[in-house]
Amino acid sequence: MNVIELNNLTKTYGEARGISNISFNVEEGEIFGFIGPNGAGKSTTIRTLLSLIYPTSGSATIFGKDTVKFAPEIKKEIGYLPSEVFYYDNMKVKDLLKYSASFYKKDCSKRIKELAEIMDLDLNKKIDDLSFGNKKKVGIVQGLLHQPKLIILDEPTSGLDPLMQQKFFDLLKEESQKGATILFSSHILSEVQRLCDRVAIIKEGKLIKLEKISTLKENNHKKFKLETNAQSDQFNLPGVTNIEVKDNHLSFLYSGNINVILKKLSEIQLTNLWIEEPDLEEIFMHYYEKE
Amino acid sequence: MNMYLHELKAYRRSTIIWTVSVVALMVFFMSLYPGLTKDADQFKKLLQAYPEGVRKALGISLDSITSLLGFYSYTFSYVVLCGSIQAMNLGTSILSKEVREKTADFLLTKPITRSQIVTAKLLAVVTSLLMTNIIYIAAACITAAAVSEKAVDFHTFLLISVTAFFVEFMFVALGIFISAAASKIKSVLSLSLGVVFGLYIINLFSSALGEKVVRYLSPFKYYDTAYIMKHSSYETSFIIIEVVFIIAAIAASFMIYSKKDIHAV
Repeated sequence: MNVIELNNLTKTYGEARGISNISFNVEEGEIFGFIGPNGAGKSTTIRTLLSLIYPTSGSATIFGKDTVKFAPEIKKEIGYLPSEVFYYDNMKVKDLLKYSASFYKKDCSKRIKELAEIMDLDLNKKIDDLSFGNKKKVGIVQGLLHQPKLIILDEPTSGLDPLMQQKFFDLLKEESQKGATILFSSHILSEVQRLCDRVAIIKEGKLIKLEKISTLKENNHKKFKLETNAQSDQFNLPGVTNIEVKDNHLSFLYSGNINVILKKLSEIQLTNLWIEEPDLEEIFMHYYEKE
Repeated sequence: MNMYLHELKAYRRSTIIWTVSVVALMVFFMSLYPGLTKDADQFKKLLQAYPEGVRKALGISLDSITSLLGFYSYTFSYVVLCGSIQAMNLGTSILSKEVREKTADFLLTKPITRSQIVTAKLLAVVTSLLMTNIIYIAAACITAAAVSEKAVDFHTFLLISVTAFFVEFMFVALGIFISAAASKIKSVLSLSLGVVFGLYIINLFSSALGEKVVRYLSPFKYYDTAYIMKHSSYETSFIIIEVVFIIAAIAASFMIYSKKDIHAV
């Protein structure tokens, strides 16, 4: 069963920004990654799903119901964490969470305590006094306290330290095992790789790829950067793309058997060598070339 | 209900401050009244020295200024002015506050309709204004009784005092309409001060010029205290205009807000 379905969803603002003809489905129980660089349209898509903004054309359904017509009903089962969290400053954390819980017709006090404990959040502080990371934690607890069936996260990890990120990911995995569906937007590929089953890649408002993480990992790319006097034509091997030469620096992307390329490198006189995970932009370049 | 209580609590402090301010303003003016009645003739002579246009603009009527109701209705125009700023502030805040404080995402992703949000907030604002007015009127009655040597005509006194709320309600409606129609309001206070003072100045000119058209434009002239004192009632045509205006502005706000895109900050 599909929890989220997007059918040619389009939202235009004047001419410049927006999304056009986005279609994909998110299945029940799935952790679905939604990646793309800043300004690609991730937030626009998510805000349209939550009917914070309304589509120009096309439609979307959540739990099989139209997101515009049945917005209040759908939202009973959605937990949302915005990329930037701002809450009523003069409230205590506890009061804000109680206020949030009061919109759902169930008792959430036990879950609030559990979540605050896991996330190491002081409930008695004023929101005004919290650091950015701690505000983010309030956002996480706020998004999960009513045990939603669908969790929508818009770049949730910014501001969290690595330990908290780990705890948060564990929490999400737990929710997923309990049957929750998760839509996770991010511009950090490694984050999405760690957590998600499938990803949609979006750029400039268009969906460029829909892929299983396992497939992405199979054609896992490495970025090689060498300091050498060797010529670039020495690297005409299968799996090597995006060769760039600048002075005596040579860089390329490689996907394939790592031993093959290392053997090749060992034949060349190198001054220095870097092997890195390519950033998202480079992966995109790669996808564009394939098309 | 949770939203209504939350909003009411959010407005609590400003409501207390406004209430104390208008009560203090009224008490200050009314405390001048006993002194004024002692030298009534001299005071009238002093006022006669002013050109008629200035007197009209300030809302001073020589016949009634030394009577308690006459003096009260003169000072009352300042109370209405203050109350209107409060009302316009509240009305404009209803929909713009969440955007400005960036809490719109919080509220609008809850399982409620946008109409429910506007309703709860509007009720909270009206409640805050009612509280201010009830406390003000009670304080005004006590003060009037204290400073007057003769018996006070409380019927007319109340008729005048209640009009503050009527005028304020129009500003709430105007405020909510502006905040629904505008994409983002950076400073509520400067907007509401501008609108309220603008209309107040129009009202001053209308008195000076005696133009009837201007009277319909400025809410401050809808409830003419001289008319109320004379007839112990309001002018029906203005009540109808007010009701129509309020219903239209609020209905339009509901419609606009339900269709509005709420952008990320």
